[in-house]
Amino acid sequence: MFRYTKATFLREVVVWIAALITLMPFYFLFITALKSDEEALTTGSSTPPSRPSVQSFADVLTAGGDSNILLGLLHSVIITVGSIMGMVVIGSLAAYVLARSTQRWGSVAFYLFLIAIILPTQLGLIPLYIGARQLGLVGSLWGMIVLYTGTLMPLAVFLYASFFRGLPRDYEEAAAIDGASPTRVFFRIVLPLMAPATGTVAILTGLIVWNDFFSALIFLGGSGNQTVTVSMYYYVGGLVSAWNKIFAIVIISMVPILTFYLFAQKKFIQGFAGGIK
Amino acid sequence: MTQLGHRRFRRLGSVVAVSAMGALTLAACGGGDDDSGSGGSGDAVDSFTFTFGNASGATDSPFQQLADAYSEETGIEIETKALPPDNYGLTLRTQLQGGNAPDVMVVSPGGGQDAAVLPLAEAGFVEPLDQTSEDLIPEGSEGLFTIDDKVYAQPTDITPVGMTWNVGAAEEAGVDAPTDQSSLLEACKASADAGKSFIVLAGAVPPNPGLMAMSISATRVYADEPDWNAQRADGDVTFADSEGWQDTLQTIVDMNEAGCFQEGFAGAGFDAITQGIGGGTSLATFVPGGAATEIMAHVPNLELQVQSFPPADGGTPYLLASPNYALAINAKADDATKKAAQDFLDWAADPENSAEYTKVSGGVSISGPGEDLSPVYEPVRDLLESGDFAPLPNLEWPNPSVYDSLATGIQGLLTGQGDIQSVLESVDKAWDNG
Amino acid sequence: MTATIGTGPVVREGSAAAGDGTPSRPRRARPLITYGYWWWALPAIAMVLLIHYIATAGGAFYAFTDWTGIGDFNFIGLDNFKRIFEDPALIGSLKNTLFLAFGFLILTNLFGLLLALALNRSLKTRYLLRVLLFMPVVLSPLAVSYIWKFIFDFKGPLNSVIGWFGIEPKVWLADPTLSLWAILVVMAWQTTGMCMVIYLAGLATVSQDIEEAAALDGASTWRRFRSITVPSIRPSIAIASTLMLVQGLRVFDQVMALTGGGPAGDTETLATQVYKQTFALSNFGFGAALALILTLVILVFSVLQQAATKDRS
Repeated sequence: MFRYTKATFLREVVVWIAALITLMPFYFLFITALKSDEEALTTGSSTPPSRPSVQSFADVLTAGGDSNILLGLLHSVIITVGSIMGMVVIGSLAAYVLARSTQRWGSVAFYLFLIAIILPTQLGLIPLYIGARQLGLVGSLWGMIVLYTGTLMPLAVFLYASFFRGLPRDYEEAAAIDGASPTRVFFRIVLPLMAPATGTVAILTGLIVWNDFFSALIFLGGSGNQTVTVSMYYYVGGLVSAWNKIFAIVIISMVPILTFYLFAQKKFIQGFAGGIK
Repeated sequence: MTQLGHRRFRRLGSVVAVSAMGALTLAACGGGDDDSGSGGSGDAVDSFTFTFGNASGATDSPFQQLADAYSEETGIEIETKALPPDNYGLTLRTQLQGGNAPDVMVVSPGGGQDAAVLPLAEAGFVEPLDQTSEDLIPEGSEGLFTIDDKVYAQPTDITPVGMTWNVGAAEEAGVDAPTDQSSLLEACKASADAGKSFIVLAGAVPPNPGLMAMSISATRVYADEPDWNAQRADGDVTFADSEGWQDTLQTIVDMNEAGCFQEGFAGAGFDAITQGIGGGTSLATFVPGGAATEIMAHVPNLELQVQSFPPADGGTPYLLASPNYALAINAKADDATKKAAQDFLDWAADPENSAEYTKVSGGVSISGPGEDLSPVYEPVRDLLESGDFAPLPNLEWPNPSVYDSLATGIQGLLTGQGDIQSVLESVDKAWDNG
Repeated sequence: MTATIGTGPVVREGSAAAGDGTPSRPRRARPLITYGYWWWALPAIAMVLLIHYIATAGGAFYAFTDWTGIGDFNFIGLDNFKRIFEDPALIGSLKNTLFLAFGFLILTNLFGLLLALALNRSLKTRYLLRVLLFMPVVLSPLAVSYIWKFIFDFKGPLNSVIGWFGIEPKVWLADPTLSLWAILVVMAWQTTGMCMVIYLAGLATVSQDIEEAAALDGASTWRRFRSITVPSIRPSIAIASTLMLVQGLRVFDQVMALTGGGPAGDTETLATQVYKQTFALSNFGFGAALALILTLVILVFSVLQQAATKDRS
């Protein structure tokens, strides 16, 4: 029934057309990154480079100091992975008990998290900075992991709780009757069943952390632990910016996150095909 | 799909991840040369931290070069941190309140710009400076640096603001630099006939129309009343009642109707300026003087000059020129570090070192135009020498909202919204509210 | 994993995966088992209280002062709020915010769901397509600004294309009405991929067996969609609509990247106003008051939206 039919082929073509239209703006991204320094400044944005070169990629990858992109990537990776792990572990545990709770505090806590998503975090910036500084979290990778985990926790809990609510209790009850403790039930049965949720949380929160500029600037700016988003701005000037180099960095920094996305798609979201036997 | 499958995949995944991180670490630590020193703690008086906004893009900032020259000469290490210019003031203020601020920082004089020094001084975050710093302040600009006779920042150079003029493009169009309002409007028509626009304006970025308004106000407001800002602070005049300011905005409207701006200017950004002036499709634009040097450095065979914006018919020429950047010292640093920082400032005040800095920054020397005046400023040399200039108005305004209302109001006028009177009234309101 | 118990529930293979939430047995007054330990939620609650509530309360306090962001301040009570309601620009920002938020909500959910349905299975290149369609989500605002400003530029490709149809070129990002639509397009372009991910996750929980059984039984595609797919993606619908609504109401990056709120404040939203006032214009107290109002607006709509998508099982 779900064979590859003519209709399926048509569907594939239509989606490809949609994808190409959606990706047209990226054409400009790529051709600008492949221009030489001089061409990037003098030619218009839609003219392709006369001689495409990967010089800008080479330049940004070998630069040092404040614009050390490799170092920035490393920091970004560490911070993002750390934050994701923190959120998956702490968030799933919390969301589980909230979603399953039959008492009032469960829904109160749920709304606590939902409202926290809405709260304007800008207001808390300076108190947060002062507090983080007291705890020695400013300018360190660990500090940023703690910060991001806390900042995005409401989102993670909300996502997990929403998925948990849609999970029928049959499996947990069966396992409990078989004699499993709540901890075992959670880690051996519920969490694997929630792989799509974990994948979604990992992708969405990981993306936000990876692309974050403002907090990274305030808390890590100028320290030796800059992320790639802040290092990118070294090439942005008031009037004259090296767009070819900037876009080279943009492309480079997209690779890890897209790779992770593909990994999460295959493993978490689709790897679980709707039925645990 | 069993859980064993999960685990196997997970293990493989973690192996891949760990080796990737290992590779990245090796590459990054091997290739990069990052500052590992903590610096500025005060124990070692042979190093301190210095922060500035990096508006130079991929090239070395003049402040970086200043620090490098100092370190080379004295052996004292300066740990520089170049921050992105957009949120510079905010980052600085956050660090100051968090106790994490650098020892030396670049600030804006006065009270009206992003990293303004006067609010910082009032809050007790910057240190009063010594006589050397005070001597450097140009006459008439004391109010931008001083509170209660104490000087809180040391200016680095003077930035004239007029029209940046593309000599080659003007010759091609057969247009001379206009000397008054009528010849300005004629020049607009002549340029359009030659297929160029007289002015390239970044209409989508409020500071550019704002800068244009300020350049025009030099001749319409401050030529006759250089102390207009002080009068406004006393409440003796208002923007809405000021003929000079009404005339300024009217000039902008007239220029728009005469087709002085490029097509689609309302949506143009700063790159339109670089392309327009660099490519010669426009004759003039409103950017600070230093930008002329910057653009010339990036575009070969380009000759730019700074002209003063012409006065109204029968008016006197006048220019805007003031220090735009200054150095300040963190009040919370320990005494030994503060002494080291003041030494650095004294060194920067020395005429030779200051001249070196000015060459890179593209401004005018802090002590006034001399023999080493950049050729870019030839057309305005007379005005500079005779002192016919006023500080950039918004430096003297009480808060950034005033400039913001002016700039966005002008954006409205240029896109057919609002009128001159209500724009000026909103500027007054922003002044009174702040 | 099956288990048969004498008098207890019988777990039917595969049935639970349909996930329609309808209990297959009467509800019990008290849970049969303990679902986790209540203290599992403590770390998360502690973090959220600290980082969100307490820090934000600290900042929110300044809404009742005239603090500029540094230095001294005076307590001025409700003056900031009075100023807000007297400001006509605020109504404009509110209208923009609502327009963008609801337009965004509808567009992203619609296209996100369609794409997810199309890419759920069978297509040979579906993983590649999923990555490609996710690429806009990953793009940094710096690049978005440059590229789309160029596309919308007076001499840019969009005007060239509409020129082929004989339409006059427009100043997209500086026209008081068009600029808002342009921002909406970019917002939807960038975030539809995220909605798609959420719906893909939801669709992954739909059992293929049930669908096949229903198809063999002769149910039409639409019927299958309505009775099997929709119920099981209800969590996804709830998540996607909540997140897109909140994100839409808080839109900031795309507005700042494309128009900076201009021209003359025509495209200002509540979030951009908050940022400008608190950080750019040194009116922290006023900005904090604005932020509280924005929070209230979002709260109201979230409550309404939660009620609308409540799981009625």
